[in-house]
Amino acid sequence: MNESQFNQQWDDDKPSYKAWGNYIVDSITTKIKEKGIDLDSFLKIPAKCRLKNDDKLIDKAFYRAGKNYSDPYTDIEDKVGARFVVLLISDIQLICDIIQENDAWIYDPCKHFEEDKDKDPLLFTYQSVHYILRPKTEINVGGVIIPQSTPCEIQIRTLLQHAHAELTHDAIYKSKTTVKPNVHRTVAKSMALIETTDGFFTDVTRLLNYGPLEEYGVQQQLDALYLTFTGLQSCKQKSSIIIWDEFEKFIDEKLYEQIQTLVLDPEYGYLADKIKEQYSSNVLYRQSIVLFIYWLLKHKRRRLISDWPLDIGILELLANDVGVSTTI
Amino acid sequence: MQLLNLSIDRIIIHQIYRLDEDGNKVLPTRSTEYINFDTDALSNFKTRITEALGSGSKAVQMEIIEQDTNDTSTLVNKIIDQDDESFAISSYDLAKKLADAQTTRSIPGGIVVIFSGKQGHPQKKFLGLIKAEVHSAYEKKTDEKTKEISLEFIEEVLLTPASKLYKTAGFFEKAIPSASSENLNDKWTVMVSDNQISQSEGKAASHYFYSSFLGFGYPETSARTTKQFYEATSSFIGTLPIAEEKKSDLYNALSTYLKVSASPIISSSGFAELYFNDIDTSDAFNSFMEEQGIPDTAFTKDIEHIKSKLKHRKVNFGTNIKITAPSEIFQKLISIETIDGEPDESGNMEKWTKIIVKHGITQQE
Repeated sequence: MNESQFNQQWDDDKPSYKAWGNYIVDSITTKIKEKGIDLDSFLKIPAKCRLKNDDKLIDKAFYRAGKNYSDPYTDIEDKVGARFVVLLISDIQLICDIIQENDAWIYDPCKHFEEDKDKDPLLFTYQSVHYILRPKTEINVGGVIIPQSTPCEIQIRTLLQHAHAELTHDAIYKSKTTVKPNVHRTVAKSMALIETTDGFFTDVTRLLNYGPLEEYGVQQQLDALYLTFTGLQSCKQKSSIIIWDEFEKFIDEKLYEQIQTLVLDPEYGYLADKIKEQYSSNVLYRQSIVLFIYWLLKHKRRRLISDWPLDIGILELLANDVGVSTTI
Repeated sequence: MQLLNLSIDRIIIHQIYRLDEDGNKVLPTRSTEYINFDTDALSNFKTRITEALGSGSKAVQMEIIEQDTNDTSTLVNKIIDQDDESFAISSYDLAKKLADAQTTRSIPGGIVVIFSGKQGHPQKKFLGLIKAEVHSAYEKKTDEKTKEISLEFIEEVLLTPASKLYKTAGFFEKAIPSASSENLNDKWTVMVSDNQISQSEGKAASHYFYSSFLGFGYPETSARTTKQFYEATSSFIGTLPIAEEKKSDLYNALSTYLKVSASPIISSSGFAELYFNDIDTSDAFNSFMEEQGIPDTAFTKDIEHIKSKLKHRKVNFGTNIKITAPSEIFQKLISIETIDGEPDESGNMEKWTKIIVKHGITQQE
């Protein structure tokens, strides 16, 4: 295929490449949203697909040093691509899982920084995850036929990896002139620093989001208990986080069982009605944490009152429900 | 008394007065309309009742002694089932009974609040009476234009959180009332909350309310309950993860609380407040005592069954070593402290005890 044939073919194929790219971005973002994740805050840069610039494509196919394609049109797989930029390494995995679980395409995991690290443990260089996706069978998207052979490159990386790539990709890896060793060295040093920082980010997030509440699965158990007890769905609000935080020391492997014993005691059966009565007017009653507060009122009254992080008036209502006084 | 699932259907008030200057009774002022609290006010009222009679309160369970035709308990037993119209009228009789009981000028006037409702699950009837002394206070005012704040003097307020300004009594229908029994004690659990009761000379000051007016007396089970309280508290102290010398202090405190303290009533929460300065220990103690079946309110102290135990403090060591001393002497003249001993055969550090007796030896055998 010569340059003009290549151009001709590319012009003809553009609509289907574009449609394929859009289809992939839509599928992935829809799946992210289905997981209850806020897309706008999860993706640090809005995901959209982009066709490769004509000149750059020709340049890559015919003139780039070191690229001797036998069939450049087929061999160049990033004619259309999309990029997902997230905050944490663990977020990358989430998108990888979405990609690998989708039956609409065949995926080729062509680059993963974790594998690169295993291969070249001493090298600190461009990090990203790349997949090439092709339709499993020819598909029709909005009237455009996408042949089975159409590739699309998906890049997934953290914000820091992205920053590194932005600085260096064109300047270094695609550079036609020789780059001085000290520049390479500096870039490698910054990659090492980025990898370290990404690790710290992961640690911090784990520490922030993982405590006794998660360890003992109290939240999920209480949500289920709340549902069977009241027939209503528990909501999660900021207020509950503040309360869990304040009384974290009472969360242990026995807590759920103790709350359950209290709630399922026939003597306290009326609490279900109390919760239903207040469900629409009081946000605390809409959350399964209300059961934990009842337990605190019965068993840790003085500590609860002394450390209660919200308005005491809110607690009075709950205290009345279980016949406990809020003055120490 | 656990006041679970508390609901209040009717609240009515009447006003009573101090005897006039010549010592003559002044007839109470009757009201005929029920009080209609909004949600917040009602919720607050429930809080006051819970504080006065509920779990952790200083209320004392009593026994109905006077139960003839015109006695208060008989009256309550009758009017609680009356319709709203009759109840409003009959409730005034209770105000008159209280006025009759106030036979000296030292007893202030006030408002009698009579309310009825239900509690428990399944719900049971109850009737409550509050004698609230009227006092003065200030109300915060904000000028709408200038946002300046000022205080306005209010001569008559009542039912403020300061519980010493009111006395409360509750008649709670028992879960399984005995249908055949004529004795009202088989039908009603009665509780009285009166700040004056717990003071050393309080019995006299509060006598007119619990005895003359209500016709109640202290239950005869106090000695047994006091013994249970003593045993449960001892065993709780024994399980605490604290140094032996601290435990010794707490055993001394228990002995003081039961033997020396002038208050005629005791309670788990009262002991916790005085001697556990750590909130979590105090919560754990209250839970433990409740599990042990100790009343969650106050009760009268009667040390009849534990007299001999309270007389002496004993500490046992291994291998038949004991120290014994009269409680007061122990507290004053003996101090014990756990110290590190020497390693035993398997290398574990033994715990030894250092005892100081602030006295010389008078005799040895």
